[in-house]
Formats: sequence, C-alpha cells, structure tokens
Amino acid sequence: MKSEKKHLIYLAAGLLAAASLPFVITNVYYLHVINLAGIYCLVTVGLNLLSGYTGQVSMGHAGFFAIGTYVSALSALDLGVPWLPGTILAVLSASLCGFVIAVPAMKLAGSYLVLATVGFGEIVRLVLVNWTPVTKGAAGLVGIPLPNIFGIRITSEGEFFYLILVMLILGAGIARRLADSKIGRTFIAIREDELASRAMGVPVDRYKTAAFMISAAFAGAAGSIYGAFSGVTSPDNFTFDDSVAFLCMSVVGGSRTVGGAVVGTVALVSLTELLRAFQAYRLIVYGLILIITVIYMPQGLAGLMFKKHTREESEADS
Amino acid sequence: MQYLLNGLPLGAIYALVALSYSLIYTASGVLNWSQGDMVMLGAYLGFTFMSLAGLGFGPSFVLSMLLVAAVGVAVQRLILRPLKERGAPPINVVIATLGVAITTRNVALLVWGPNAQLLQSPVSSNPIGIGMLRITPQDLLILAMALLLMFALQYMLRRTKEGRALRAVAQDRYAAVLMGVDTNRSDAVAFAVSASLGAAAGILVAPIFFVTFNMGAGIGLKGFVAAVIGGLGYIPGAIGGGFFLGLLESAAGGQISSGYRDVITYAILIILLWLKPSGLFLRRRQQKL
Repeated sequence: MKSEKKHLIYLAAGLLAAASLPFVITNVYYLHVINLAGIYCLVTVGLNLLSGYTGQVSMGHAGFFAIGTYVSALSALDLGVPWLPGTILAVLSASLCGFVIAVPAMKLAGSYLVLATVGFGEIVRLVLVNWTPVTKGAAGLVGIPLPNIFGIRITSEGEFFYLILVMLILGAGIARRLADSKIGRTFIAIREDELASRAMGVPVDRYKTAAFMISAAFAGAAGSIYGAFSGVTSPDNFTFDDSVAFLCMSVVGGSRTVGGAVVGTVALVSLTELLRAFQAYRLIVYGLILIITVIYMPQGLAGLMFKKHTREESEADS
Repeated sequence: MQYLLNGLPLGAIYALVALSYSLIYTASGVLNWSQGDMVMLGAYLGFTFMSLAGLGFGPSFVLSMLLVAAVGVAVQRLILRPLKERGAPPINVVIATLGVAITTRNVALLVWGPNAQLLQSPVSSNPIGIGMLRITPQDLLILAMALLLMFALQYMLRRTKEGRALRAVAQDRYAAVLMGVDTNRSDAVAFAVSASLGAAAGILVAPIFFVTFNMGAGIGLKGFVAAVIGGLGYIPGAIGGGFFLGLLESAAGGQISSGYRDVITYAILIILLWLKPSGLFLRRRQQKL
C-alpha cells in the first residue's frame, strides 16, 4: 500500500513536470520532436500490450499507424469529418485490420508470426502507394486540416503538446488498467505457456485476437493525431524500417511494462536527436547502442528502473 | 513461358538467400535479420575486387565469400554468443540482428558512398534465343553458380565432419552436446556458411541489380519470405521456396501489375502461412513444447 502511494506521488510529479515542458522548452524544433515522441509512445504502448504482454511479436505496426493516419486524414479531406469523429473512425478501422491479421496470426508463432506481420505492413504500404485515386499514391496527402475539438482549435506546437499529452495519459491509463486486470493476466499466461492456458480453459484465440485489435487501436489513434499534426503524409512514413523502429523502442524500454514503452520511445528519439552531431556515423552508433542494450539490459531500460518488478518477472521466466 | 524463364535466375538468388536464413535458423535457432546485408557486403566486396583491384570474377567471388564468412563468424562470436549465454528472450535476439543490419548498412554507406554501383558481368548480357524463349548468359551464369553452391552445401552437410556436426545440432542440440559436439564451433560454422552463401548471392545479382548500401533490406526480406514459404529450417524447402517466389513474382509482375506485384507476393504469403503454417513442402510443423 505504502509503495502504491509513493507511486502515485511520483506519477503526479512526473505529470506536472511533463505538463510544464512547453514553458521550459521554448525552442519550437525541440517541442516538435517531443510531440513526435509522444505520438510514437502511444504506438509503442499498444505494441507492448501485444508483443510484451501477449508475446505476439509484431513487425508491422507501421501498417496500423498508416491506416489510422490515412483514414482520419482522408475522412477529413474528402468528407469533411472533424478530427474527433475521424479519430474514432481511425481507431475502428485500425482495430478491424487488427482483427483481419489476427485470423491467420492465431495459428502462427515465433518467426512465422513475425513474417505475417511484416507482410501485413508491406501490403498496407504498397496499397497506399498504388491506390492512387484515393490515396494520391507516393506523393501522399497534403493540407490535412488541424484538429478542432468542440470549438477548440489546435494550431501551435504547444497546443498539440497538450492534446498529445492528454491522449497519451488516456492511452497509458487504459493500458495500465488492462494490464492489471484479468485480461492482462490472461495475456501474460498466454505468453508464458499457451498450451497450458488452453488446457486451463482460457479461450486463447479470442484473447489473441483481442490483443491484436487493442494494439492496433492504439496505433490507429496515434496515426490520427500524427496526420493532423504533420499536415502532410505519404507512404514513406510507414515503411518496414518504421515498424522495426517501434519494436526497437518497445524492447529497449522494456516490452513487458507500460512504462517501458514510454521510456524506450523517449530514449531512442532523444538518442537519434543527440546523434545528429555525429552525422555520417549516426546510424552506426545507433545500431551499436541497440545491440549493446539488448545484450546487457535484457529487460530494457525500464528493467533497470523498476528493479523489484523485474526480479519477479525473471523468476517467472526461469 | 517467358515469365517462367525470367523468374528462374531471380528464384535462384532468392533460394541462396533463403538457404542462408534456413541454415542459421536450423543450426542455432536464430532468426538473423542481417542476412540481407551480408548479400550487400558480398556485392560491394565483389565490386571492389573486380573494378578497383582488377581481379578476375573467380578470385573476387571466392575472396568476398571468405571475407563475408569472417564477418558472419564475428557477428556470431561478438553478439549472438553473449546473448545466448545470458539466455536473452528471442525478441532481443531479433533486435540485436536488426542492430547488426543497421550498423553494417551504414558502415557500407560510409565506405562506398551513396551512389549505386554496377558490377561488370564476366559474360555478356545480350539475350540468346532458344526457339521462342530468350535468356541472357548472365542469367545462365546465376543459375549454374547457384546450383553448384547448392550441391556444394549438400556435400558439406552430408560428407564433412563440420556438416555432420551441424545436422546433429539441428536435430537435437542437447544430445549433440552430450555426444561431444562443440556447439560454439558449429554455430560459428553455420554463420560462416550462411554469410558466404549470402555473399555469393550478392555478387551474382550485382550485374543485374544496382549495388547500393540498402539493397540488403529488399533482398533479405524476400529471401526470408522464400525460406518461410519452404518451411524455415528445411534445406530443400528453402531452395523450392526461392524458386517458387521467383516464378511467382515474375508471373505476377508480368501478367497482373508491376505495382501490385509485391502486394500479391505478401498476400499469397499470408494466406499460405494461414493454410499451411509449416511451409509448402514440410508435412508437419515441428513444434517445440
């Protein structure tokens, strides 16, 4: 109980610090990067529920992210749908796709599952490139309207920051509630031993499908804000490399906690920015850091930060 | 018919890359995402030896295979062995090999620059006609070399001590250790052979595709697809999967639409995975419980 109270205090302090960021950081570029990191966090939080908790590794999350972006942007551009209903549409379409990919994915595990998700991500990207009448092909969409929520217009980086922060808090909160609930425990049970869960009467297929749909919904919501935030978008933003980047954020942070998603995303986005000074060596250093992290911090950065939690998990593993 | 003929050399390349994935997967249980970049390294080294050092095609071919094999061993020793010793979860191994891919790719960018290079083929690329069909000598060279390498691999796996050790470890790692097989050595051998197969694919494909620092991503992914279609870890399956994918792409690109070619490839892949999760050619999935 006491530690829970402590946790709450930390959480409140962290939120207060986060909320005051736009007042401290006046550089618009940095704020832009922070906003992007926030959007990526939302994707990674969803990815952790799928890959970390349920053990279904996805290397196609850029696909769900893309669907969120395009559905929201196209419904705004072509049909004049405001941002908030557009986001709901984006979430619904992304989780519908999550359902579709879950059908073959239910029967797959390990490398086969990874490949199926890679295939899904690539199909989405290639359809976006080739379905020119609707998606405008490789040129992409321009002039995606800014969000207008019940008369509040979001225009500046600072305003976007708060919108993204609210979405992230909502998302992380939902993810935490899910993870601590019966659903989350069932996800973990499926990850640890699918056969045993099945034998205990857990409807494994239904839970796996749910994990895919929930995870895709997070990416869809993130995509919706991403489109409105950038104003322009093209299929180049949703490549295999982007899916890989999401997975890296998840694993570097610690894929088995919700907090790990945030930590990993912030760490890798800041790393990318810090390494700009190295120019040509940037990605070489990035790759090496990735390797060193997964060798020496198998539970991710969050594993180091929340030691107690990790010990429990490593005991469960062995 | 012409599409089938065009698909064969591409299929041979995919088959070589698929073999390299399958070999590592079956022998050390690692899904190595840096295989595609070994293809790229092979192509660049071949280009360097031939165009800059003025060596012939044969020596360049062998030299770059050897050098890339050394890179493969280094990756295994420096990265995968520590991971294995620490009992890292599979997802960490995947990320580590992706890290290797990112690093290799950008080292190549630094060394060879961003411009695409074209390797001079040792044979002409003017098509020769056989009846209605046409095929270039370069395509024939690809097919011949690929088949030669596949036979060499089979020989190595069946007849040599190292190859037998590999197969023993693939079948039952624990039993192999009890029988006195040095698994560290066999893992290294698997990485060396795989990397050199990738390098060979790289040099063979270099005269028809441009050599760029990020060519490995596309070829690597296709090779992995081929390996899974054939049944990951099943050597004849990898060869069959490679040719199947090459023919499929050639037919889909020629008959339906070149823009949607890869969409068709991936859609068929997902449907295949759904209907036959163990690959086209393997009857049952070997599930480790």
